[in-house]
Amino acid sequence: MRGKFLKVAVAATATAMLATACGGGGDDNESSGQTGGTLRVYASEPAFLTPSGGDDEPSLYVIRQLFRGLVKYNAESSAVEMDLAESVESEDQKLWTIKLKSGYTFDNGEAVNADAFIRSWNFAAYGPNAQNNGYFMKRIVGKDDVAPADPDGEGPQKAPEPATKELSGLKKVDDLTFTVELDAPFSGFPTTIGYPGFFPMAQACVDDIAKCNETPIGNGPYKIDGSWQHNVAINVVRSDTWKGEAGKPDRIEYRIFADVDAGYAAFQAGELDVMYTLPPARYKEAKATYGDRMYEQPGDSFTYVGMPIYNKAFEDKRIRQALSLSIDRQSIIDAVFDGRFTPATGYVAPTFEGAREGVCKYCAKDVEKAKQLLAEAGGWPAGEKLILWANAGAGHDQWLQAVGDQIKEALGIDYELKVNLQFAEYLETADQKKFTGGFRLGWGPDYPFMETYLYPLYGTGAGSNNSGYTNAEFDALMKEGDSADSIQAAIPSYQKAEDILGEDLPVIPMWWSKVAAVYGENVDQFVWNSVSDADYGATSLKQN
Amino acid sequence: MGRYVIRRLLQFIPTVLGTMFLLHYMTALAIQFSGNPVRALFGDRTPPPALLQAITERLGYGDPCLDQRGNPCFGLFADRLQNIFFHFDFGINLRQREVTDLVADAIPFTLKLLVIAILFEAVVGIAAGVLAGLRGGSFADYLVKISTVFVISVPIFVLGVVVREFVGVKFGNVLRGQDWIPDVISSGMFSPVFKPDYPMASLIIPGMVLGATSLAVTARLTRTSIMENIRADYVRTARAKGLTNKRVIGVHTLRNSLIPVITFLGVDIGAAMAGAVVTETIFNVPGIGRLVTMSARTGESSVVVGVVTMLVLVVLVANLLVDLLYAVLDPRIRYE
Repeated sequence: MRGKFLKVAVAATATAMLATACGGGGDDNESSGQTGGTLRVYASEPAFLTPSGGDDEPSLYVIRQLFRGLVKYNAESSAVEMDLAESVESEDQKLWTIKLKSGYTFDNGEAVNADAFIRSWNFAAYGPNAQNNGYFMKRIVGKDDVAPADPDGEGPQKAPEPATKELSGLKKVDDLTFTVELDAPFSGFPTTIGYPGFFPMAQACVDDIAKCNETPIGNGPYKIDGSWQHNVAINVVRSDTWKGEAGKPDRIEYRIFADVDAGYAAFQAGELDVMYTLPPARYKEAKATYGDRMYEQPGDSFTYVGMPIYNKAFEDKRIRQALSLSIDRQSIIDAVFDGRFTPATGYVAPTFEGAREGVCKYCAKDVEKAKQLLAEAGGWPAGEKLILWANAGAGHDQWLQAVGDQIKEALGIDYELKVNLQFAEYLETADQKKFTGGFRLGWGPDYPFMETYLYPLYGTGAGSNNSGYTNAEFDALMKEGDSADSIQAAIPSYQKAEDILGEDLPVIPMWWSKVAAVYGENVDQFVWNSVSDADYGATSLKQN
Repeated sequence: MGRYVIRRLLQFIPTVLGTMFLLHYMTALAIQFSGNPVRALFGDRTPPPALLQAITERLGYGDPCLDQRGNPCFGLFADRLQNIFFHFDFGINLRQREVTDLVADAIPFTLKLLVIAILFEAVVGIAAGVLAGLRGGSFADYLVKISTVFVISVPIFVLGVVVREFVGVKFGNVLRGQDWIPDVISSGMFSPVFKPDYPMASLIIPGMVLGATSLAVTARLTRTSIMENIRADYVRTARAKGLTNKRVIGVHTLRNSLIPVITFLGVDIGAAMAGAVVTETIFNVPGIGRLVTMSARTGESSVVVGVVTMLVLVVLVANLLVDLLYAVLDPRIRYE
């Protein structure tokens, strides 16, 4: 895992992971990567191997090689490139027309046509199917009809049987064309559909989903060899039915580990070629041992200390600014995490198009200014302690204590750590807005588009807006970006919206993850896709 | 004998039911106090209520009693018993896999590991014990005494990690650098973790680690027992009769000395299962122990209840077999 924080964030949210399909590793290195060999990689037990079910990192790593979607992402620039789609276009950013390339098939011979996508998206969205990636169909018209909410929450009544099994927003035009109607304009739609939740599924797969989960029927450059050996291994081999750019290794073996330390021991013994993550305690040692065979890159996983704006003590933005100004992020990163994070100075991952440095003007330590702002706001309520929340058993105590100490030193506010809630209860507390002080949470992007860091966390009433932040101007700017003519045209509006956050501080940005992967001596070229992470299909081995 | 066995089997029923209820109550409490484990699957991403409910229902966490702190959920327990005993349905885990499938996948690995561990501790432990016991005060005796103290005082999770890092990685890498050593030794047996390519060879070292602590106890028990019996009247009688030394030691002394050792080995199967929880995690063996660890971490009550119930049955059966073995070993013991 990349950090103590990530241990939980990755294990549990894993949804965090972006999208998909690893493009062919970028055009620049096509000449040198050699084909052939068996690539052995570190993996954890996936949750599901179907596009509609797998939303965690280990699942996505396998699904991305077995399946391919409408678009893929450029390994370096994370720009959207057409994969199975010929074009994805819209006049009004609301009704999207998708044209497919012809000739692609699933491993069982079924054609990858408009039906394959409509079928897959409907299956994911249909409530009773209980598919994790149903979440991603939320923008498509008709979502509420296929997954109606339970009238009395978790009470005795069951959710009503959905009236229909199909999203009314999906319409087939001809064999290779279909339209998608969203319930509001969204200029970033093309960036979202490279996520594996939007990959196609064969009819045979949907008919027997349990069997398909064990032996997936893919449409990508690799197909499964045998079936999923639970908790042991998943082996995939080159697929003959794939018409696109072929994968580099002949075979990829995912060896499944329950514990990252055991995986690292196997790597040290030469049993693995690639490890996409490292045990945090071994980071320094690995860096010294493997040197140039360690791959490091800024990541996109965001850690923040949320501010309960619904609580009176945190209502005034100057209080939030003062708290943020008292924290020296780099010193905590160095002392607690061996430098495995990058301090955050904004709300959008530095690797994203449109991200800027220094959006948050209150994210560098400035004790004088902090004291002044706190005084202007009328000071901290006398005798009250600042409470800092984190979930239990995930190693957050240490850094949160450092944050508390720095605030105490700068502003003289005494603090108390509240780190006794298990993750599930902690998240329920967040959902119910019952935090009484700063709370640690994280966020990972769903697609490479600035919006993924903004609206879900800070939009009025948005799903993960745990601060209870409301700002009409912010909402309006988000709308403006959503209905812009193109991905690029949306960026200025989103940047303005991010500036508002930089001033209002609904959450205190802490840091961004850093990717640290190691690879073996026999790896010729290791490819990391800035959106979909380690790209095994594009990674080549030295050939003798 | 037959009646004794039946009586013992009947005693299984309250034991198993009691264990199951305790486990059921503990896992229910865990959910009541620490929240719906399904919510944790989504992490920072707040799921739409409809989706959360659908998945919660599907996984069997939808019962309203799971929201009431302290409620023992008798209704849920009755359903669970009914499903387990009448339909052999242990429920599904958070990833919608049948618990019976999970166990079926995991059990062969754990059995292999246990067989290696028990064989290792029985053969080496008894041999070392006999050697030390027959010559009290000799070099061999001190060697056994000191080395066993050493092994007993190191906790298994420390021993496991040390063996993995030093024997598997460091020493193993040296072996792997030598061309003349066959692969099955260098990258099979000395693989730091379980390796699917060498499913048996790569379990030998984890099995030895698992058996190590009990080996020390076995050796010490055998040693003491032999020392005691060798001075017993019947041994003197046997010698006086003019029996060969081989027969005196092998049949008369050893057979009687093994009674406490066999008891220990039987009880130890239970302890070894517990040790497997640690060993399997360290050596990445996809067995029952690792399964329990993972499911306890994520709060998958169906898996924990199902697997631990099966483990309880294993321990009960093992204990029964040990008790029956007494009669075979000691002619004075009779079961009515």
